[in-house]
Amino acid sequence: MEREPPANAIRARGLTRQFASRRAVDGIDLDVPRGQALALFGPNGAGKSTLIQLLTLQLRPTRGSFTIDGLEPRRDGVALRRRLGVLSHQSFLYDDLTAAENLEFFARLYGVDDPRSRCRELLDLVDLGNRGDDRVGSFSRGMQQRVALARALVHDPAILFLDEPFTGLDPDASRKLCATLNRLRGDARTLLLVSHDLAQGIELSDRWIILRSGRIAADGVSAETDAASFESVYFDSLRRARA
Amino acid sequence: MVDPVPVNHRSGFWFWPLWTLTTAGMAVAIGLVFLYVPDERVMGAVQRIFYFHVPAAIVAFFGVFLLLAGSIGYLWTRDRRWDHLALASTEVALLFCTIVLVTGPLWAKPAWGVWWTWEAKITTTLILWLLLLGCLMVRRYAESREVGARLASIVGIFSAADVYIIYKATVWWRGQHPVVFAPDKAGGLAPKMMHAFLTCMPVFFLLFALLIFVRYRLACLEDRAEAVLDRALEN
Amino acid sequence: MSETGFIATCRLVAGKDLHLEWRTWDTSTSSLVFSLVVLVIFNFAFDLATVRELGVGRLVPGVLWSVIAFAAVIGMTRSFQLEQRHETLSALLLSPCDRSAIFFGKFVANLVKILTLELILVPLTAVLFDYDLLAVLWRMAGLLLLHTIGLTALGTLFAAIAVRVGRGEALLATLLFPASTPLFISAVKTTGVLLGTESTTSVADWLTLTAGFDLLYVFLALLTFEVVVER
Repeated sequence: MEREPPANAIRARGLTRQFASRRAVDGIDLDVPRGQALALFGPNGAGKSTLIQLLTLQLRPTRGSFTIDGLEPRRDGVALRRRLGVLSHQSFLYDDLTAAENLEFFARLYGVDDPRSRCRELLDLVDLGNRGDDRVGSFSRGMQQRVALARALVHDPAILFLDEPFTGLDPDASRKLCATLNRLRGDARTLLLVSHDLAQGIELSDRWIILRSGRIAADGVSAETDAASFESVYFDSLRRARA
Repeated sequence: MVDPVPVNHRSGFWFWPLWTLTTAGMAVAIGLVFLYVPDERVMGAVQRIFYFHVPAAIVAFFGVFLLLAGSIGYLWTRDRRWDHLALASTEVALLFCTIVLVTGPLWAKPAWGVWWTWEAKITTTLILWLLLLGCLMVRRYAESREVGARLASIVGIFSAADVYIIYKATVWWRGQHPVVFAPDKAGGLAPKMMHAFLTCMPVFFLLFALLIFVRYRLACLEDRAEAVLDRALEN
Repeated sequence: MSETGFIATCRLVAGKDLHLEWRTWDTSTSSLVFSLVVLVIFNFAFDLATVRELGVGRLVPGVLWSVIAFAAVIGMTRSFQLEQRHETLSALLLSPCDRSAIFFGKFVANLVKILTLELILVPLTAVLFDYDLLAVLWRMAGLLLLHTIGLTALGTLFAAIAVRVGRGEALLATLLFPASTPLFISAVKTTGVLLGTESTTSVADWLTLTAGFDLLYVFLALLTFEVVVER
């Protein structure tokens, strides 16, 4: 007799996305328990961004299904979106509004209680408490990413998707973002991180998977993986997948 | 391996019968128009354009109706075949619209001395031509066929819904002028002319059906070819 | 956390757009300057000095509505181009809000911007062409509002399409102008009646047509916006 599997934060079965003739995501099965941090690696065109877009309801799957916290996208789309936070390599911010105005706008959009104090709280979290009244357009890329992270967290999402958040960040900004993300991991939040930086990805995750041509080529547990030798593991699995 | 769009190979069988019927019909129609009907009393030989001009116009507007159906069908079911119908209707309707807009002035100049008049029907046809062109442009500029299909469906629905309103507005715009281009109503046609006209109507519909059929299948095959090519490139 | 309803979302989106406009004066200045330039060109194109001989109602409505239409195209294109910059439109769509509400917010913001432009343009034409605006003020305002609603509804949706396919004003104009022909004809006719030179056509008919057009296209746009922006 089988026990009911615990409700996973993310559960996908046979998830497929076809673009006219190309299959960007091809029959992916995924189980991400609550509170786990999953790293997604893979070459360009492997389907990482498409997978994130599918799971965040930005794209409709051609086939397959998924649930987030047991909620189905078609039926419970609104409730689902409330649970998701997305940080992308695009900042999702208005250049001509201040950091505080940006955050307040999104806070109100998500129906957050007491948006003003929530925004102040978030700006403090990302170390920009004193820059709240400056235009986002005047920020460096690193600072913009921090505001973008605050925006992703404004409604306290249970699941955070991070699509190559370290793109274009200098080492210092990168380190700061890493530190913030590590702090978030302690909150029993579920994280899905796409990264080209293998070492950083391993450091920030509990589990990792490698995507190639829309399929999972390999997976593993981060604690058992040596960050230094991971690169060869990565290239090995890609070579095997091609065969 | 899944085909992106199933191509019904058996349906290709219908091409030759349809083509034969259309060609024969057109031959008969041309024969009637040039040999059978008499010259019109006032306008002379040039009036014969009427037998192609009017059916072309009717068929073009029927094409818009098909465009509406295809667009709604695609948005409802997301089945690519509805989109292929919409695309085929857009292009074929545009073609017949062009025929109307070219034959119109060719008829008007010798018959009434003026190339163009902003009369309601011809103005509506011109605007329809622009609307259809807009649909095609949106398809062409879109980042993928799928996005193009979706956006063109919306433009198609908006355009089709608009046609009647545009017509009404242009009729009111020009006031109660006697309409220069209106073909004589049925009662005004001599019997031989009536025969010719009544033959041309179904023949043009046949031509329309043939062109839609061919374009539709072409769209299906284009999808399929793209799929095969991409798969080959992947490997 | 509470759910953000339709009206609240509209207010937020419209408020944000107008707030941005207030801060940058981006759209208003470019539309206004463009309108003035076009007005000057029309002066040379149609020798508007003859207006006094022909009567104000002959040429002014056409010129006015042409300028409004061109300026509106610029404004509405920008309202979506600004959402492309850092993919803020995707951010809006990620939120649990009703997509139609997002459209309606954009529509309202565009409407306010275009009406503000008309607030400047119309008195300007009264000065340039010497007609008595005050005598027809409220009726003119009503006509402007009624016709601008339809133009903005259609234009906002088509702008979303035009920007989505990576094109701008040219494609928007190509899509919008033929489709809004009834609006344009009605606007010119009724404004002409108002300014006195146009023979009294049935204004009530035109107003009914336009009102119907407005309702139809606001409705259709609310329905289909989601399809335009989904990926």
